[in-house]
Amino acid sequence: MALLTVENLSFTYAGEETPALQDVSFSIRRGEMVVLCGATGCGKSTLMRLFKREISPMGEVSGEILLGGTPTASLSVRESAARIGYVMQHPEEQIVTDKVWHELAFGLESLGYPRDAIRRRVAEMASYFDIEPWFDKDTASLSGGQKQLLNLAAVLVTDPELLLLDEPTAQLDPIAAADFIDTLRRLNRELGLTMLLIEHRPEEVMPICDRLMIMEEGRLLAIDTPRRVMETLGTRPEILCGMPASVRLFHTLGENGTPPLGIREGREFLKASYANDVRALPHEPYTHGERVALSMKNVCFRYEKTGADVLRDTTLEVFEGEILCLLGANGSGKTTALSVAAGLFKPYSGTVRVFGKKQKDYRDGSLYRSCVALLPQNVQTVFLKSTVREELADAGADPAALPYDLTHLMARHPYDLSGGERQLVALAKVLATSPRLLLADEPTKGLDANAKRHLIEIFRTLKQNGVTVVIVTHDTELAAELCDRAALFFRGGIASISTPRAFFSENRFYTTAVSRMTRGIYDNAVTQSDAVSLCRQNGRRGGAS
Amino acid sequence: MKSLERSHPTVTLLYFLAVTLPVMLCMEPLLLCISLAGALALLFSRTGGRNIRTLLYFLALLLLIALVNPLFQHDGVTVLFFLNGNPVTWEAIAFGLCAGAMTLAVLCWFLSMSQMMTTDKYLCVFGALSPKLSLMLSMALRFVPLFTKRMHAVRLAQRGLGLYRDGTLPDKLRGELRVFSVTVTWALENGIHTADSMEARGYGTGRRTAYAEYDFHAWDGALLALILLMLALTLCGLLTDAVAVTFYPALVRAERGVLAALTYAAYTLLSFLPTLLTVQEKIKWHFLQSKI
Repeated sequence: MALLTVENLSFTYAGEETPALQDVSFSIRRGEMVVLCGATGCGKSTLMRLFKREISPMGEVSGEILLGGTPTASLSVRESAARIGYVMQHPEEQIVTDKVWHELAFGLESLGYPRDAIRRRVAEMASYFDIEPWFDKDTASLSGGQKQLLNLAAVLVTDPELLLLDEPTAQLDPIAAADFIDTLRRLNRELGLTMLLIEHRPEEVMPICDRLMIMEEGRLLAIDTPRRVMETLGTRPEILCGMPASVRLFHTLGENGTPPLGIREGREFLKASYANDVRALPHEPYTHGERVALSMKNVCFRYEKTGADVLRDTTLEVFEGEILCLLGANGSGKTTALSVAAGLFKPYSGTVRVFGKKQKDYRDGSLYRSCVALLPQNVQTVFLKSTVREELADAGADPAALPYDLTHLMARHPYDLSGGERQLVALAKVLATSPRLLLADEPTKGLDANAKRHLIEIFRTLKQNGVTVVIVTHDTELAAELCDRAALFFRGGIASISTPRAFFSENRFYTTAVSRMTRGIYDNAVTQSDAVSLCRQNGRRGGAS
Repeated sequence: MKSLERSHPTVTLLYFLAVTLPVMLCMEPLLLCISLAGALALLFSRTGGRNIRTLLYFLALLLLIALVNPLFQHDGVTVLFFLNGNPVTWEAIAFGLCAGAMTLAVLCWFLSMSQMMTTDKYLCVFGALSPKLSLMLSMALRFVPLFTKRMHAVRLAQRGLGLYRDGTLPDKLRGELRVFSVTVTWALENGIHTADSMEARGYGTGRRTAYAEYDFHAWDGALLALILLMLALTLCGLLTDAVAVTFYPALVRAERGVLAALTYAAYTLLSFLPTLLTVQEKIKWHFLQSKI
């Protein structure tokens, strides 16, 4: 039985010519978990918002949206609020009140429930999501993962039939994201909650979703089981790049048929189809420049006098012209290390040298002129003006000198840009000081696969232009593709550091999907292209091509 | 029986208003002494010696008020001595002492109140009056620290971009202005999303209710009734001038009758009520623990 039916839905934003959605028709059955994919700007979020009349965008709608047989336009606002739950991307921006318990009660308060009913629902939600230990806390003191879990619970208190989630894990680190998706899976399996989910983490969601929807330029390309969608659309590179590693490998190898889905099936496919006589690729030798761009020697730092050390005797050398990626869990101190390198925090012991000169000998801000620049994690801390053009002028950036093109965005407001575009504009401001050492804090956070690819290309160009780059990231795929060396940060220091192929093939958990998939079959396949070249060298089993 | 802190927030708040009202209406020395003793007893019974430092500041304030008043107020018939040709009178000193004691007593009560009344409890009280007001308070309580935190993040980011210089004072001012306007832009953008999140959860679709964790039990009702009764008795005494006192021109206390005795008794009970409850609770705990 269909819970949500969409018939010939088209939508044009007020004041625009081209429609954002064209003739979209599909239906979602009760208890289904449907994942919606598509490039940025393809109309995914617009579609989702149209289901919820309180927050629908302004514009011209044609076609029908039915919830359990009733057109959503004829639902009262109250009913729509209670029956359709909606979770957004940014954990912090959805939180309204100062206390966890109050946030949980908010939806029920708005609908005017009596106190006893609120207490019952809130108690039940807090128990189910294990929120009790932080029930009395301030919402500001929670971690990103906890905030997003709270947002989910706060939506579920009104007992919605349909849950809409718009990139809920984009701002979370991989562990919190996996936890969140696991919670969604539990809600779907245990409570039969119907959900429609926009997600950019294919490895986690594809194996658990019932159906996959692909959108492109306002049209619905496919809605079917993930396997079948990938069978038919897997040959298109712009769609393939957002798919799990197993599917990407399958199609890049030119295989036909049903692709394997997820790490386990990927392994089985490789074992069954390809020989493994050649087990490893030659380790690329690590060569580095003569001069040291950044050196940290026995650096200790803490935020508060009585607090614990965040950096403990951190020692690190970054050579000129290399790209170094710092990986590690939340709270291991990698962002702090980056801030110390940028001169934003002063260590209480140890020395930091930038291009051979002690950091404290750079006076009157000369550290930030043609020397060091930091691209912050939250690009909202960067923007000030009402157009991109003014932003660039504010920083004194020359658009012609950039290694990428921003002309099509010049007249836009920075806050109206997509995540990837925002990152490019922020990077342009950072590059305005023509830094020789660029520090970037999680530059690919919340970006889709295409935007990520673009950013990787830009970092490569910067490297060719002689810029040294240090990137703090959770993104193992990014590090494996891009960096010259990768380092694992643990308890305020470097636990291991080596070339990406050595680094990721030695790690068991902190590694790429390809490495996890090929473990035991091949010894050091870390990236997609590693795996492809090993498979090609070995050839198919049984003599088939 | 429950201590005042664990009673319903409305009762807690009303208690502190009730106990401070009489001393603010009338500067009667004995009433002030009772109030001060009650406030100090409550502080010590709850937190021991932890507030000594704050109390010393309060005491300095009392002495300041007591000393400053006779320097500017020269009324009164009992001249003690002359300072720079101006008479310093006993009445002015007495008035200053009483004013200081009143300030001290009220401050001590409010110190206890601020320790007992957390923001949740204020929200509970105001939520009963107006759910909208309570939500606004809660949002404000969230917004202010968030704004400060974000200002800090923006300052660091702008410095890392090389766009924030703090070499000279004008540079610093310009930099801070920049940081402020980035943070405001961010907050406004954030506001749009928060508004969406609120509407998606049914905000503005009808009458709100205000949820609070606190229940109003029979005990809270009894305690509230007792507090109001004692307050009424005290106010009776005050309004009928049973405990009237005049400072100028001469210190005169009216004849104290039965009504005055009743007033003092009622106010004493009111002032020491929370201490009694606290001590009672502590004894009970001690007793229970020794049984375990």
